[in-house]
Amino acid sequence: VYQVFQSVAKKYDVMNDSMTLGIHRIWKDIFVRKMNPSPGTLLLDVAGGTGDIAFRFLSYVRSVRERQLQRKLRQQQNLSWQEISETYQEDKVKSLGDSRVVVCDINKEMLKVGKQKAQHLGYSEGLSWVLGDAEELPFDDAKFDVYTIAFGIRNVTRIDLALREAYRVLKPGGRFLCLEFSHINNPLLSRLYDLYSFQVIPVLGEIIAGDWKSYQYLVESIRRFPPQEELKAMIEDAGFFKVNYQNLNAGIVAIHSGFKL
Amino acid sequence: KMAAAAAAGSLWRAGWRLWRGRAVVSWQLCPPQRAVQASAVLRRVSDEQKKEPSVSSSQFDLHPNDYQPEQEPQGPHPSYTGQGGQESEDYESEEQLQHRILTAALDFVPEHGWSAEAIAEGAKTLGLSVAAAGMFHSDGSDLVLHFVSQCNTKLCELLKQEQKQVQLGEAEKKPTDQFLRDTVEARLRMLIPYIEKWPQALSILLLPHNIPSSLNLLTSMIDDILHYAGDQATDFNWYTRRAVLTGIYNTTELVMMQDSSPDFEDTWRFLENRVADAMNMSNTAEQV
Repeated sequence: VYQVFQSVAKKYDVMNDSMTLGIHRIWKDIFVRKMNPSPGTLLLDVAGGTGDIAFRFLSYVRSVRERQLQRKLRQQQNLSWQEISETYQEDKVKSLGDSRVVVCDINKEMLKVGKQKAQHLGYSEGLSWVLGDAEELPFDDAKFDVYTIAFGIRNVTRIDLALREAYRVLKPGGRFLCLEFSHINNPLLSRLYDLYSFQVIPVLGEIIAGDWKSYQYLVESIRRFPPQEELKAMIEDAGFFKVNYQNLNAGIVAIHSGFKL
Repeated sequence: KMAAAAAAGSLWRAGWRLWRGRAVVSWQLCPPQRAVQASAVLRRVSDEQKKEPSVSSSQFDLHPNDYQPEQEPQGPHPSYTGQGGQESEDYESEEQLQHRILTAALDFVPEHGWSAEAIAEGAKTLGLSVAAAGMFHSDGSDLVLHFVSQCNTKLCELLKQEQKQVQLGEAEKKPTDQFLRDTVEARLRMLIPYIEKWPQALSILLLPHNIPSSLNLLTSMIDDILHYAGDQATDFNWYTRRAVLTGIYNTTELVMMQDSSPDFEDTWRFLENRVADAMNMSNTAEQV
């Protein structure tokens, strides 16, 4: 798995766009909207190498915070200019409202690409990049509010260990969210999807990234991954409550969510 | 003919209650299968608890005890022991925890409105992460519905107390119009602490996906009020009475929204007039 992602890192984003025809952006947007983070949330994004989820999280939290501040200001209509400028100053310091995201990935190359992207897009505060293995996270217990793993869990060898680690590092009340390719129930769609996956994607991999084998592996790993109900049972086994899943695009992708209660 | 009408009326009412009962069940915050599973484990765990008092009991820790009683004889793996170190014999269900979070969140409504933010703050006071607000709908619907349901329960308690007092002879039975006025006033007074954000709550209750639940809560409240008012009708009046009382309640609520008189005097006067109108209407109908 390590080798695959080393070769894939640089072209990762381009390949994502071409394989999914850009829809992966929408999936990730829906994912963060479902998370609905409030300012002050500490997020751990595992296998989040190039930072897509982390950036979306920061933008979301920033806009929520702005709305909060606007609401506060509207209630303070009769302040003097002095007081208004003071509130502006103190709020600039907390434009994120103490939210932070830690991006953890097993692969240095992916993290490097992610850091470059962050610089390029202008995300400077509230981000940390940590090298780590999902099956054995380098964090203390009960540290994070939300744990996310987007398109990463199928690459983990022992999913149950990763789930247990997720349970460990989450605070009580914390949320586990997982975005992953899953199984389509509809047989017709399923056939079309198979056709697309096995015929088109490796070819694109060869043309764009010069790497047939990695994308062949990718498509096969999607097929091998447990279906929605099975993953839900595994998440419940790790100790999570209120586990449910939401299918996006009829099951091509599914979001699983659970709470540590 | 009268008997047939009475029978039809009671059949209608039975159907009405059945439908309502089902709707109430459908608005439960946790899926039915998990509840059964949780309660199966619950009983076992509480039995186990009696045998091993030294095991640190922690709430919501159902699964470890279920799946690993043999592997970890020294006790369940580290789990949530929050709530200020309280240890209790019973295990709380997910629903009860959700109720507690929502109740705690009510304190934050004046500041944050009926929203996921208030729920997040409520969760924080219970020692949970703010992410726990993700268990609920993101628009604050669950909070409003919870509050309304709580108010209705309180109202029922109040009415039961009053009825007991009348039965014990400690109080006089009120005439119907006085009873209705006092009851609606008592119920609306529960809104006073949240009156500023109540328009927001009303708009949330009118959202399409909330209408079944909010309608159900409203009809059950009206039903309860009329039950305690001594309504024994089994004929068509059953519907008209409920419709009239629903109308009185809703309009008074709206008047209360923009009432700025001291202690809402104008609202209570409005209520008095509406109830008087309704009484006159029914008297006139009888005469005809």
